[in-house]
Amino acid sequence: MLKVIGDRWRHWVNRRVPRSDHRSFGQRNIFIMPTGAGVVFGFLLLIMLITGINYQNSLIYLLTFLLGAVVVAAMHQTHRNLSGLELTLIQAGEGFAGEVVPFRLRAASPRHDTLALSLACDEVVLHQQHIPSGQQADLNLLVPAYQRGYLQPDRILVETRFPFGLFRAWSWLRPLSAGIVYPGPLAAPEVASTVQDGEEQAKSRSIDGNDHADIRPWREGDMSQRVQWKRYARTGEMVITDWEGEQGSPQWLDYDAFAGVERELRLGYLAHQVLERSRSNSRFGLNLPGQVIEPDTGAGHASRCIKALAVFGLEQPEGGGPLPTGTRAVGGAGHSRHASGEGAL
Amino acid sequence: MIKRLTNRNRSANAPETTELVSGRAMIWLIASFALLLVPQWDRLPVWLIASCIVLAGWRWLAQTGRLRLPGKWSRSGLMLVLVAIYIATVQGRFTVETASSFFVLAVGLKWLETRSVRDFYVLFFILVYLATVNFLFHQEIHWSVLNLAGVAMLFVGLQIVNAPDIPGAMKSGWRRLGMMLLKTLPIVVLLFVFFPRMAPLWSVPLVSGEARTGISDSMTPGDISSLAQSSERAFRVTFGGEAPPYRDRYWRGLILDRLEGDTWQQGSGRQFRRPGRVSVDGGRGELESGQYDVLMEPTDQTWAFALEGSEAVSDNVQPDDQGLFRFNRPADSPVRYRMALANEAQSDQVGGVPDNVQRYLQLPRSGNPRARAFAEELAAEFRRPGAVVQHLLDRFRQQEYFYTLRPPAMPDDGIDALLFDEKRGFCAHYAGAATFVLRAAGIPARVVVGYQGGDAGADDDYLIIRQYDAHAWVEAWLPGQGWVRVDPTAAIAPQRIESGLRDAMADEGSFLENEWTSPQRYGDMAALQWASLQLDLMNYHWQRWVVGYQGQSQMNLMSRLPGGIGLRELGYITAGLVGAGLLLAGLMTAWQYRRAESRDPFSRVVARWHRLCDRAGVPVRHGETPSQLASRLSRVMPEAAGTATAFARAVNRHYYGGESGTDSRGELARMKRLLTAMKRQADRQSPGRPGGNH
Repeated sequence: MLKVIGDRWRHWVNRRVPRSDHRSFGQRNIFIMPTGAGVVFGFLLLIMLITGINYQNSLIYLLTFLLGAVVVAAMHQTHRNLSGLELTLIQAGEGFAGEVVPFRLRAASPRHDTLALSLACDEVVLHQQHIPSGQQADLNLLVPAYQRGYLQPDRILVETRFPFGLFRAWSWLRPLSAGIVYPGPLAAPEVASTVQDGEEQAKSRSIDGNDHADIRPWREGDMSQRVQWKRYARTGEMVITDWEGEQGSPQWLDYDAFAGVERELRLGYLAHQVLERSRSNSRFGLNLPGQVIEPDTGAGHASRCIKALAVFGLEQPEGGGPLPTGTRAVGGAGHSRHASGEGAL
Repeated sequence: MIKRLTNRNRSANAPETTELVSGRAMIWLIASFALLLVPQWDRLPVWLIASCIVLAGWRWLAQTGRLRLPGKWSRSGLMLVLVAIYIATVQGRFTVETASSFFVLAVGLKWLETRSVRDFYVLFFILVYLATVNFLFHQEIHWSVLNLAGVAMLFVGLQIVNAPDIPGAMKSGWRRLGMMLLKTLPIVVLLFVFFPRMAPLWSVPLVSGEARTGISDSMTPGDISSLAQSSERAFRVTFGGEAPPYRDRYWRGLILDRLEGDTWQQGSGRQFRRPGRVSVDGGRGELESGQYDVLMEPTDQTWAFALEGSEAVSDNVQPDDQGLFRFNRPADSPVRYRMALANEAQSDQVGGVPDNVQRYLQLPRSGNPRARAFAEELAAEFRRPGAVVQHLLDRFRQQEYFYTLRPPAMPDDGIDALLFDEKRGFCAHYAGAATFVLRAAGIPARVVVGYQGGDAGADDDYLIIRQYDAHAWVEAWLPGQGWVRVDPTAAIAPQRIESGLRDAMADEGSFLENEWTSPQRYGDMAALQWASLQLDLMNYHWQRWVVGYQGQSQMNLMSRLPGGIGLRELGYITAGLVGAGLLLAGLMTAWQYRRAESRDPFSRVVARWHRLCDRAGVPVRHGETPSQLASRLSRVMPEAAGTATAFARAVNRHYYGGESGTDSRGELARMKRLLTAMKRQADRQSPGRPGGNH
């Protein structure tokens, strides 16, 4: 029963607070309730009123009415404190699973001060943010990431209890953009790559052995040195030689190398390897089922690889932000993403 | 770019209730505590006040880091010690003083464990109630201001607790609170006027163990001369017509008709105290000529003061068989009652002897032989009681009797000593002696205790009767006349009766000689007198219109309004006021919100468009251009593609177009038309809506 009510409530709230990276808070989406202290204070006012009645004491009546009016004024003040606030998710961050992912939010309060604002996501709370009237403040909310993939917080709670803590006004920001959580790196046991790293290939390795190389069409991301320019001049086809020797070399980090290992574990191993390679500044490529990242070096490359690991096999959440740049989507996943994004509406 | 975040930076993640209270919030709490303790000052034991100061000071030093808060064990030990002292000093008595001591003790001990925000709130609630309790004991305007200031400090402290680190928190806190109070003032005033003043739901008398300054129900010579050292106010009287002349202002309070040793007591025993509380407001309509209102300070006694020959008008006082007036409960808060001066009519009592004549002839078996002999002489000589009385007064007037605040000690046979040897005494001495002589002469007589006199307050609106106006005199029963007032003091020191104690004591210089702080002591300083009277006037009106605004006053006020307003109607009015107040506040907020949104007509139209998109299921993304939004919208609502694109183009033109000369009003109108069209298209498309095409 409670669960049904809870679901209903959540559904209703989600309709009132649709997903969006930007929200300006107003009467439509601010909720307000007395806090525990507020309830106790209400009881106290009742006791004061009874004291006033029993002792026929006008001044106690007066004090009761005065404080009662202050409570009502405080309710409006608390509501007003939140209303007019504009909150924008300007950057959904990235991080490793088991750690926190920073979400950068920009808060602006054009009309009046917003004081003692707190933002919360799961059990992480950002206390005491003050946004003076007409100013902007950038807030960094660290959202805990438990598993790799897209991190799209269901709700970021935005609340304030100012001025007296007798009322709590709150609302939610339900961001569209998702942060990216890399797999938590795990040191892998020593395994060899399975990708054609055999003896027979080793002896046929040669510098310009065109015959021994696989030839395949050019794909985005291939380096221009590998394009067979002579062949291009002859036939107009852009082809690439995939050097057998290179492909089988240990510089490839391969998903298939860990046969029989569970998927998440494999990704953890790969993440560890990516970090290792990146640290030693060595050249490496990444081979995932349906997605290949050519060997390269540098921070950008490492970042691309680890992002690929992060979102491997996952669909972008509805309406999410841009995919990590530079990945080579195989099998039209990029298109289906858009289609599903719109189709769900 | 990729580095593991090792420091998780979760410093601010502690739940709020266990957060430590900032020092600036704490100081307001302590200041408020100190302020709210002041009205309790005179009823708290010294050790308690001292320990409260120490405990609060300790808390403050701990806050500033100069001292540590006690650990669990020493805290428990301290608590045990203080509670033990409390129990030892209270000794099982339950009075208002012991209750409020306990209350204060609890707050004092709480200081040592106030660390978190939750503790702060606990103290906040207790202190608000302490302010409430203070109002039970002190209702003067300055105490009220002090109490309210204490409560206001609490609310400033609360704001600092809830936002400890904003700059200028104190100033903005006071301003915010002030604005709140100012905005809600009208509704508070209306509620105060219209909230129905119900009868007490159940009665909890304020049992005070502390003796109040004022006349008591027994009189030993010397009692009243100690009262004469106090300038506290006893009551105030407003006359409907002219006030009677000074010498006739005899305010009868109670009758002492039984002499035990040298103490005069009430003969009829203590009255049964009925449960319930005395109705504190007995005013009824306009004060008519011949009537007077008495606004009496709390006495914790049941007697009311009235001029001779008065009748009760308000129903909170009842006459008794001795021509006095009584409340049905001790007056533990200020009481207002109304009396009327009757025309000289004591006809039914004028006959032979009063009821219970023996009661008024009672004397101790022995003692004061000379006075007894003197009385017998008088009785033998004059026969007629009236002549005996006259002779006695003549004796006081002609012989060298002195009226003094510094009478000598007369331990044995005091009346003999006073009449024949010392001849120096205060009113209580002379009244007791005269009653003794009259009784010994066979004339029924009794001592009356009350007040005599009363000075005009500011603007001559009312009389103030103070404790030093306390007086004792005699009533003797004369056949054919009934009870007649006999005042030996009037014979000895006529100034006392004509113009008061100050003049009577002018030569001796003993008027209020121990009351250094009383403004009344310095009668020759006109400015001081004026200021003191103005303060009293302010308090009088405060008492009359605010503190004393209870059942009867409310009904009087309501009866002037059209329509018969009773308690029930007042209840409806109150409910209506609360509802209307809430509604009004809500509307104001909504209006402010709308107004702020609508400052720029273009942005308002754009905001409406965004809302439309939201409803259509195309949430607006941040940083999205109008055209992007329009293209997304048209994917969902192909029908609206044209209008949406046109609208987006118009938005772009307005904000980024740059040509300042364009007809912005026409542009706006066009955008509104487009928006309306878009809405219609949206309505048409969304299924299930009434009036749709599906």
